[in-house]
Amino acid sequence: MSVAERLSRPTRKRGRVVSTRLLRSEIGLIAGRRRNQMGLLVLAALPIVLAIAVKVSNRTAGGGPDFLDSVTSNGLFVSLAALTVEMGLFLPLAIAMLAGDAVAGEANLGTLRYLLTVPVRRTRLLVVKYASLCFGALWGVTVVAVVGAAIGIALFGTGPLTTLSGSQLPFGAASGRLVLVVLYCSAGIAALGAVGLFISTLTEQPIAATIALTIFTILSWILDGVPQLDWLHPWLIVDQWLAFADLLRDPPFWDNILRGLSVDAGYAVVFWLLAWARLAGKDITS
Amino acid sequence: MSLLVDHPRLRWVAPAAAVAVIAAGGVFVSRIASADTGLPPRSAAQLLADVQQASRSGLSGTVVQTANLGIPQIPSLSGNGTGAVATGTGVSSLTSIIAGTHTWRVWLAGEQQSRLALLSGANESDIIRNESDLWVWSSRDKSATHYTLPASAAASPTPPVSPTDLPKTPADGASEALAAIDPSTSVTTDGAASVAGRQAYELVLQPKSQTTRVAQVRIAIDSETHIPLRVQVYSTKAANPAFEVGFTSVDFSTPDARQFQFTPPSGTKVTNSAITPQSVGGGAKPATLTHRLVGTGWDSVLVATLPADLATRLGQLKQLLTSLPSVSGSWGRGRVIDGTLFSAVLTDDGRVAVGAVSPNALYAALSAP
Repeated sequence: MSVAERLSRPTRKRGRVVSTRLLRSEIGLIAGRRRNQMGLLVLAALPIVLAIAVKVSNRTAGGGPDFLDSVTSNGLFVSLAALTVEMGLFLPLAIAMLAGDAVAGEANLGTLRYLLTVPVRRTRLLVVKYASLCFGALWGVTVVAVVGAAIGIALFGTGPLTTLSGSQLPFGAASGRLVLVVLYCSAGIAALGAVGLFISTLTEQPIAATIALTIFTILSWILDGVPQLDWLHPWLIVDQWLAFADLLRDPPFWDNILRGLSVDAGYAVVFWLLAWARLAGKDITS
Repeated sequence: MSLLVDHPRLRWVAPAAAVAVIAAGGVFVSRIASADTGLPPRSAAQLLADVQQASRSGLSGTVVQTANLGIPQIPSLSGNGTGAVATGTGVSSLTSIIAGTHTWRVWLAGEQQSRLALLSGANESDIIRNESDLWVWSSRDKSATHYTLPASAAASPTPPVSPTDLPKTPADGASEALAAIDPSTSVTTDGAASVAGRQAYELVLQPKSQTTRVAQVRIAIDSETHIPLRVQVYSTKAANPAFEVGFTSVDFSTPDARQFQFTPPSGTKVTNSAITPQSVGGGAKPATLTHRLVGTGWDSVLVATLPADLATRLGQLKQLLTSLPSVSGSWGRGRVIDGTLFSAVLTDDGRVAVGAVSPNALYAALSAP
């Protein structure tokens, strides 16, 4: 606790409406960074590549990511195939970049202490940082889905969507399912963002935080693939990430979705609290 | 708050408490599952009679099947089903057909309508029966096969047994069945099971034999609807069930009729196939198998001689067979599967012995005249 923060405490007692200024400025920062914009372009490029590859090639079926061979029947499947691929590494990498910038990046640039002398309480700062990470997660997943749906509809049209159960959904209901998929994937990436936020409070090097979170993600995937560790799988953050396929059954199969969401919530709460405990006792020197 | 401000280290208590709450939640849930539900006692004969009288008007639910039979992994043909690139999930798709965990969704409405869906990753296989229509759908191949069931099967099936052979009441049938297995098995009941959030009785079958690999068979029966909810088979070699199939969620209301309607989606390969009584009854007669049973009850061993042409048909399994341990004795040479619930020996001269016993008992049965 710096002297400035101690002195600022009495002024916080005044009841007032929660200001969204800090959040808006934070989101503006994330959206304005050139590297984040480049990252979004990479995320958006993959569904375009997938869709054009399927359009150009004449191979009908077999291999490739899930949903890819359904693309020709309905353009929305481009989004689903792209999400299946990008949930593996690209989207976690994107949130790792944002999380690295969140606290470690500010500390590295020397702007963290100025933020805290505004005055902003550390808890509020962490709430705003995490809210902006959640926003970033939703944004990234939405970009993949929207670009995928747009290129898919442009190339393959909007036929009825065949669910995994063999029934067909009209375009409106199919879009609704895609929105659910986007929300579910965003929840997983946002939970990973909480882990990243904690790592970000441990270091002043944003690149170290980014690499650490990427290692955490890849390690989780590897552990999830080892059958001898099946007792551990339900506790891994990535275990149910690809369960969004269950939303495309008829009726949707909620068991795994709910399990995945509760794991996401558990990770988010525990790691946000860890970040909060860490940041509170930390001497902000830069 | 000033306590936390002056002693920032105390803040670590919060994440620790969150972990504790989550861990306690996990333990609590598994405790509930094994809690004594205190149902009034019910005899085995009463339970069996209950099951026969249970209403099968309709239900829907999720069934999870877990098998740990201790037999070698057979790489399934599914290949790399999960599309996660560079994630190492390809390893988990090498699950065997028999081993591992499978999740089914089940819908039933009366005798004439049923639907089973096997969920695997981003794929689904469905078997849908509506009156005389039977559809088999596979989302992986985008293929649907339509069978038309013969009228006799579509009508309420009547067993080809004269009524005098049949027990008069379910209770009679139950006591006859219990008497039949009494010499080999002790049957007890337990009122303390909880399956899919429902209180259930358990019918516990315990082999009296000491040599069989089967330690116990537990059948959980719903306390209100009397529908069997779970079957567990325990091995003498492991504390956890070697085989388990049971509901994880169940709803006893009749499902929506829409569940049983299937129209092949556009772009689907549709195959039509009619089932005639000949094809059901085995029109192409299978190669005759000479076999005999050695031993009684749980210890019985089936010894059979495989027809010569079957050996060639088993060509695909050659690789699996050579991966099995080789054994030899006075009975000859062969390969052995030493599983948790059963073991099997396939000799080089085409004899096979299978039983819920240890391999040594199989060797004895093979040498028996």
